[in-house]
Amino acid sequence: MTAAPLLEVKSLGKRFPTRAGREPSPWVIQDLSFAVRPGELVTIIGPSGAGKSTLLNMIAQIDTASAGEIVFDGAVVASHDARALRPGFDRKIGYVTQDDNLLPWRTTIDNVLFPIEVQGRLDGKMRAHVEMLIGAVGLAGYERYYPHELSGGMRKRAALIRTLAYDPPVILMDEPFAAVDAQTRTQLQADLLKLWELGRKTIIFVTHDITEAIALGDRTLVLSRQPTHVAAEHLIPIPRPHNVADIFAVEGFAAIYERIRAAIQ
Amino acid sequence: MTDVTLTTTTEAGELSRKWVIFTGRLVLALALLLAWEIGARTMGAIFFAPPLDVAMRLVELVRNGQMLTDIVATLRVSALGFVIACIAGVLLPFLLRRSPRLDAAVEPYIMASMGIPKYALAPWLILWFGIGDAPKLVVVVLMVFYIIYIATSAGIRGVDGRLIAMARIAGASERVIAREIIWKSLLPFFFTGLKVALPRAVSATIVGEFLVASEGVGHYIENARQTSDTVGVFAGIVVATVLVLVINAAVNVIERRALAWRPVEREMQV
Amino acid sequence: MTRWRTYADRLIVLVVILAAWQVGSYFVGPYWLSSPWAVASRFVAQIWSGELIRQSAYTIEESLIGTIVGGVPAVLLPFMLRRHPVLVAILDPFMVGGYGAPKLAFAPLFILWFGIGIESKIALVASVVFFIVYFNTLAGVRALDPRLVQMAQIAGAGERHVARHIVFPAAVPYILAGFSIAVPYAIGGAIIAELISSNRGLGYLVQTGAMNFDTTSVFAAILAATLIVHAANMLLDAAERFLLRWRPPAQVMLDVGN
Repeated sequence: MTAAPLLEVKSLGKRFPTRAGREPSPWVIQDLSFAVRPGELVTIIGPSGAGKSTLLNMIAQIDTASAGEIVFDGAVVASHDARALRPGFDRKIGYVTQDDNLLPWRTTIDNVLFPIEVQGRLDGKMRAHVEMLIGAVGLAGYERYYPHELSGGMRKRAALIRTLAYDPPVILMDEPFAAVDAQTRTQLQADLLKLWELGRKTIIFVTHDITEAIALGDRTLVLSRQPTHVAAEHLIPIPRPHNVADIFAVEGFAAIYERIRAAIQ
Repeated sequence: MTDVTLTTTTEAGELSRKWVIFTGRLVLALALLLAWEIGARTMGAIFFAPPLDVAMRLVELVRNGQMLTDIVATLRVSALGFVIACIAGVLLPFLLRRSPRLDAAVEPYIMASMGIPKYALAPWLILWFGIGDAPKLVVVVLMVFYIIYIATSAGIRGVDGRLIAMARIAGASERVIAREIIWKSLLPFFFTGLKVALPRAVSATIVGEFLVASEGVGHYIENARQTSDTVGVFAGIVVATVLVLVINAAVNVIERRALAWRPVEREMQV
Repeated sequence: MTRWRTYADRLIVLVVILAAWQVGSYFVGPYWLSSPWAVASRFVAQIWSGELIRQSAYTIEESLIGTIVGGVPAVLLPFMLRRHPVLVAILDPFMVGGYGAPKLAFAPLFILWFGIGIESKIALVASVVFFIVYFNTLAGVRALDPRLVQMAQIAGAGERHVARHIVFPAAVPYILAGFSIAVPYAIGGAIIAELISSNRGLGYLVQTGAMNFDTTSVFAAILAATLIVHAANMLLDAAERFLLRWRPPAQVMLDVGN
């Protein structure tokens, strides 16, 4: 089971630029380290303001690191220099952000097709695949709608399959189901696990919901308050496949829930 | 969903309101025409050309083809000037976007030069280019350029950085980002600028023709004034106004098509 | 530290512009381009002699009176019609037509009616300013949060109080925006009217300068006009900052085009 890690975060640090004439700004993230193996679904949980989004931004290469390094697929990623950043790392890292970031002037299906179009992979097969995904997340019939005509939850789902459609090996997800009602959330969690199991992708999933972290993950990392680092790491002892809807009823849920909750304090 | 009787009452109320507004507008329009007619009778033909005479003159101008010639002459200059200014006004912000340093250095001068009353340059331009299309063209270009430049700059600045980050992660090249994200994001701003600039281009040409021209709608108006042809002045002004209003309407239609993806903002009925 | 670099950059750009101008004037001759030094010294000389001041005053007078004549009704009308949306709706197409119509193209008409004196210029400026300020004020009155009005009415405020203490302050940013937009058009309108026919004002200076091939005069007059436009803008900015002290920063107003 111990395959070589796909992604290694080593002593990562982040502080925002110091304003002239002020004291040096505090470290938002300091000495944060963890590793992710291929095919894992790792959930990250932590208090708000702990810089979870910043961490994902750095892994996705849209933000620089102030200290430490990130090693992806064996290659050290130069992330201190803004000019050397490679967003998405040649499309190997997909990123489902907190804001759906759908292009307002494109219809749903055109939005989902956007990365595929940009990568020059648009053909009949991809279209069929995308249409399948649209149906899978319950957006069938809304292909020609504009984002402002969709509800918040629908936009999130569209943003989700936009990344899934072009199939990057690693997917970062930043509280993608936070703004969605409980019923839809459970459905989306189940869908995500289904798609993950089919493709055996590597997923890093940030959440503030302990139940979600347990329901989805193989492993949960608990982040501390600022300066953020990994406070605890917990293996989820619940065997796959996880039944998302009834995860509470599973043997061992309460115990791991308590352990994680204690670690967050 | 709603009570049927309630709906019909509201519908009736809405309908009667629409009728009141329509009749109100009709009454106002008739009142203005009446005032015009009275003005012509009391103030004398020098100041107020009678509406009927103006209408007859307009018909005559259409018939002898002069209206068409003049309109074409005016639109020719406006269109050319507008296109040149648009290209410059859109390109410049895009170019400056590449070098924030150059942008910061040059921006105050662009803003400062905007304060120059463009029409005041007309006599000097006539000195350089003589009487012809060139001075008018330059004035139109200057007039339109600033409007488009400011609208485009505001649009570029207003682009959502997160959309750009998303596109980069998806693998988009700089060119795709410029075309797909930046250009599309700034289209609404561009159209606002367009709506303001296009009619101004036409009116700038007409005003330019006051100062120097041998043809065009503006020339017709000024010529009429100098020969105390009040009917001609009124007729020319009607043509100028209709021209600008038609262009306004056309731009609105194009805008509605191009920005179909935008949420419709309802005018707050106070 | 980059702030100083920006200032230095701007200085370099200025030097480049002036140098290019100077070099250009060598090539094409002083009649066509004049030169930075010539324009600057003529400008100072004309201020010293009072000539430029007199003519500028005339232009400013036209613009100012025209702005007041056009601006005051334009501000009052939306307030008076606030409770009569039907009247506003009736007026709307006429106002839109008036806004869209090229008022500057009416200049010969105004000269026909009022002669080449100051009245025609005032009329032109007033007509230009009126529609711009009307639409901006209307937007301001419409943007009012009705809950604030309800709150005042519950507290016992009468219509006049509501208008003065609730509606008016809320509309002030829009009114100021309207005047800011109108300023260059007001001054430009005055100058155009002067260019067509006048015997006083900055436009007159430009016209006679051009007719005498005296490019230096022309540029000096244009420089004066530009400075006036910028001064007016600065005054409006200061007024806005003062009147709107209570506002959280960074509210960008775009031109209210129809």
